[in-house]
Order: sequence, then C-alpha cells, then structure tokens
Amino acid sequence: MANKQLLSLARRSHKPPSSFTVVRSSSSAAEEFIKPPPPTAMIYDRIAHSLKSKLQKLEKPDIRFLKYGSPHPTQSSHTHILSLPETKITTLPNGLRVATESTSNSRTATVGLWIDAGSRFESDETNGTAHFLERMIFKGTEKRRSEEEIENMGGHLNGYTCREETAYYAKVMGNGVLKAVDILADMLQNSKLEEGCISRERDAILREVQAGEHTEEAVFDHLHSTAFQYSPLGRSIHGAVANIKTISTEHLHHYIHTHYTTPRMVLAASGAVKHDQIVEKANKLFTKLSSDSTTAKEPATFTGSEVRIINDYVPLAKFAIAFEATSSTDPDSIALMVMREMLGSWNKNAGGGKHMGSELAQRVSINGIAESMMAFSTNYKDTGLFGVYAVAKPDCLGDLSFAIMSAITKLAYRVSEDDVIRARNQLKSSLMLHTDGTSPVAEDIGRQLLTYGRRIPIAELFARIDAVDPSTIKRVANRYFYDRDIAISAIGPIKELPDYNWFRRRTYWNRY
Amino acid sequence: MSSILQSLLDPKKSWLASLHMKTLTNRLRNYGLRYDDLYDPYYDLDIKEALNRLPREIVDARNQRLKRAIDLSMKHEYLPEDLQKMQTPFRSYLQDMLALVKREREEREALGALPLYQRTIP
Repeated sequence: MANKQLLSLARRSHKPPSSFTVVRSSSSAAEEFIKPPPPTAMIYDRIAHSLKSKLQKLEKPDIRFLKYGSPHPTQSSHTHILSLPETKITTLPNGLRVATESTSNSRTATVGLWIDAGSRFESDETNGTAHFLERMIFKGTEKRRSEEEIENMGGHLNGYTCREETAYYAKVMGNGVLKAVDILADMLQNSKLEEGCISRERDAILREVQAGEHTEEAVFDHLHSTAFQYSPLGRSIHGAVANIKTISTEHLHHYIHTHYTTPRMVLAASGAVKHDQIVEKANKLFTKLSSDSTTAKEPATFTGSEVRIINDYVPLAKFAIAFEATSSTDPDSIALMVMREMLGSWNKNAGGGKHMGSELAQRVSINGIAESMMAFSTNYKDTGLFGVYAVAKPDCLGDLSFAIMSAITKLAYRVSEDDVIRARNQLKSSLMLHTDGTSPVAEDIGRQLLTYGRRIPIAELFARIDAVDPSTIKRVANRYFYDRDIAISAIGPIKELPDYNWFRRRTYWNRY
Repeated sequence: MSSILQSLLDPKKSWLASLHMKTLTNRLRNYGLRYDDLYDPYYDLDIKEALNRLPREIVDARNQRLKRAIDLSMKHEYLPEDLQKMQTPFRSYLQDMLALVKREREEREALGALPLYQRTIP
C-alpha cells in the first residue's frame, strides 16, 4: 500500500507544478486543502532533486576513466624505450673527448664544450676568474665576433659557469654544425681579451652582483658559502667585489692555460650530427690548448653552520636546510635522488594541490604554511648537499620547520613501499622528460662524461633506480641524516625561524 | 543480522519506528525545520564540507529555515497552523552529499594520505 502511494506520487510529480497533489501525511486527510508543496514547487527542492540524480551517477563510474587513474603506484616495465640511440665517444690523442648522439629525425643540433673547470678551482685571490672569463670569451676573438657569426646562421650561443663545470654551447641548424665547432674552437683558443672590453664587462658584472642580492640564488650562494666555509666550494661563482675589480688579462690567460686543458674538456654534440665529421674537425682545430691533465683540487669540507640575514622589509622569508650528501660517483647518489623525489616540491601553482604524493607537500599545502617548497640534491666531485628550500610568510616558519625536519628524519624510520615506487616512477619520468631536445641531451652527455667518465645507458640507470627499495632508503637516510650536522641559510623576516639547536635536535627521533 | 536491525528501524515495518517518526515530524513542524537542518557543521567537519559543496539555493533555504526557527524559539511561539501543514520535515537534501564526503574521506585515509581537514580543539 505504501509502495502504491509512492508510485502514484512519482507519477503525479511529473505534472506541471501548479496542481497540488494529495500526499498522505501522518495527520488526518479530512479537512486538507492546505497541503505540503510537491517536490517541484520550490527551487531548492528542484535543485536538490537534480543533485540527487547526479550524485547517484557517481556510484557507477565509467570504467574508461579508472583504467589509468589508479591511486596505487605500480612498478611497470620500460623495456620498449630503453634502446635509445647510442652515444659514440672518441678520445683524441691530445686528450679531448668527442661524444655525439645523433638522432636521425632532427634537423637541428647542439654542439658544445663542457669543461671540468669552475669556481672551485680558483684560489681566494683569483675568485671570480672563471665567471669573468666566460663572459669575456663571448666578446670575440682576433679574427671574428663569435656571437654575430652564430646569430647570422640562425643559431644561439650560450654558456654557463657552475662551481665545477663551465660550458659553451651553440644551438644551430644541422648544416651549421661544423662551422659552430670552428667558432667554438676559435673562441676558446684565440680569445682577444683586451682591456677596454674587460673594464666594460667588469661594470656589468658588478651591477649584476648588486641586483642578485634578492633572488632565489642568493639563498643557495649563502648556503654553499656557509656549508663549505674555508673550502673551495664555498666561494661564490661571481667572486668577491674586490676581486672583480682587480681581475686583468694576465689572470684570464693564466686561467685558460691552467684549466682549459684538453683532458678536462668534452666536445658534445647531439641532433643532426655525424660523429666522424666532428672528430675530424676537432682533431684539426683543438691544437693550441695544453694537454696537462692535472686538476689541482683541494678537498671540500662540510661545516655544520648557519647564516641568517634578517630583513623585515621584504614580505617573504626564504630559507634552505642542507645535509652533507655524497659525491656523484657514489652509488648512494641514486638513492638520494629517489629520496629527493619522495620529499617532492610544491608551490601554489602546482596542479596536484593538496592531493600530491609526498607527505611533506601534503602537510605544507593542507595547512598553508609555505608559498613554495622544493627539495634539492646536488652532487659535486667529492661531496654534495641534500636538503629542502622553502619560501614562506613570516608567521608560519615554526610549523614549516617542524614539517620539513619531521619529513626528512622520517626517511630513516618509516618508509612505505608505495611511496618508494611512486618516487622511483617520478624520478625515471623526470629524467627522461628533462632530456627532450638536442640541448638538454648535449648537456647531459657533457655532464655525464665529466662526472662519471662515461655515459650511463638508460637501461643501467633504470636498473639502478629500481634497486632502491625501502630498506635502502632507510640505510642511506641513516648514513646521511641521522644525527648529522646541517647547514642553514635564511634571508628575510626570519625572526620566528627556530635556532640551530632546534633543527639539530630534530635530525634524530628517540624511537625505533 | 543487519536486515533485522533495518526492519526494526524502518518506519514502514515497525510500529515503534513510525511512532518515533511521527513525534519527530510534529516537533520539527512546530518550528518549521527539516531533519537535515539539525546537522551541525561545527560538530562534524564532514557536514561543513558537504554544505560547502551544496548549491547556494539549498544552503540559503536551510539558513532561512534555521533563522525562522530561532526567531520562533526566542518569541516562545510555534509556526502558524496553515504554514505548519505545508511543512515537509523529512525531505532530504544533505544525506547523499554527506555520504559522498564520508566515502571520499575513508578512501583518502585508506590510501595513507594526510586528512584534508581535522577537528581542532579550541
């Protein structure tokens, strides 16, 4: 009987809303001509009814959407992409290594020189020479102006100086590769370093140094200078202002003579290049560089320390916390890369928002304690840094520091298989996605040859990444994070940032 | 086992349950409220999230009903008889959305992620 009433009600509710329907309520039906309105009379009831039908559609999701969207990370096999073009490497008699990876379907190419020289190899008095020299080399040689020639071909000429490597590379069309090699060789060997150019460049660099005080790089420069204090890695790349003012032609020539030597250089090319042609050209051209393979290197020492620069007039506080990590040739560096993916990065524009995989990113985003957060892991020849860099408003620094330190120390205690698989997949895909295009590939070739001495095949790299499992993560975290000194550098309104002892205490937990 | 419990609680099958429903209907009708209006967003954050997801008209109607009931209670009055006959206390707008929010929270917890909102003790 109740079913019949419900059915009649359902049938009648399709009628236009102006007619009232008789609904049996619990009170007597005798004197009714005021009845409760049908479910289509008021707009909120109509909307609630349509909402109910939409919510019921969610009960049966379309299988097509669930096929690839599983929230459980799975290990999958990548054998079909592992056979990428082979990198051909030739070592010339003077020590120069020529490495190319030719992809037959590209029409452009990148060719460049990656040199194992940087700000690390200077001394305190000559700090800043490497960067200065890189700027001067672009200014021209005795015979021609290099930048103009490359631009005439329709290419780009670029270069950068890091602490441990310097690079000069040109992106050109496929038919301009040999000419680009010519220009690069000329730039390095016959550079015209004249006084007028030097003084103009000096002013430009001084202005850049002043403007760079407030960028993100400033935090990392301070971090290196405090973590590696009294040691060559601690020197900044620009150099001290006093040094910049006194650098002269002899310094630059001396630097070229001692550090730009052929055993420490790699000529890398990728794209529409042919290995034999480039080897032949390099043999003919790179004749004036010395073949001295000694690389005078002082060891880098890590000191647990902090540097804080309070400035209450900027709106955001930026700080970085770093542990001493390992060199790039150590097998644990792969585990550290996976751990870097486990900590992840987040900023307010991130598409994942509050639903990202890393616990630190979730904590930061759900509670709104940072503007952006990034984990970093850098490796040098004998040491490295692993840590987290964050930008935050001044009032939530305590919570943010707690979240960061608990996430890092947790890697030594509780690591779940799901997190590790997700981090491994993310690492593999980010490594492959970053080498898309001729320039990143050439840079990858140059860097790998300088750091590892060979180009690691993708299959081996993936195998090494897959060998990292939760027990490896715990062992590596115990080796590098458990009760170890840290380096902190902070800039901005950092009054609420906890002190060094607070951070140092949270590098271990009193539990098993 | 659960079907015995369901038949005990079903107003169409059990006399006690239908008596309870009639009493509730009368009391809600006095103040012009629906059963779903009694769910308190400060008590359970899931209700707050469900109300955030509901369309504006439904939430506005809920708030208007609550204001009317607060006003009547302050004046120690009941709703006028003709309006009382038009009340529909058990027309639901919240239960489906609340069930969805609770399901999503369970799923998130099962995956091991941090909860999106947590009750803070004031």
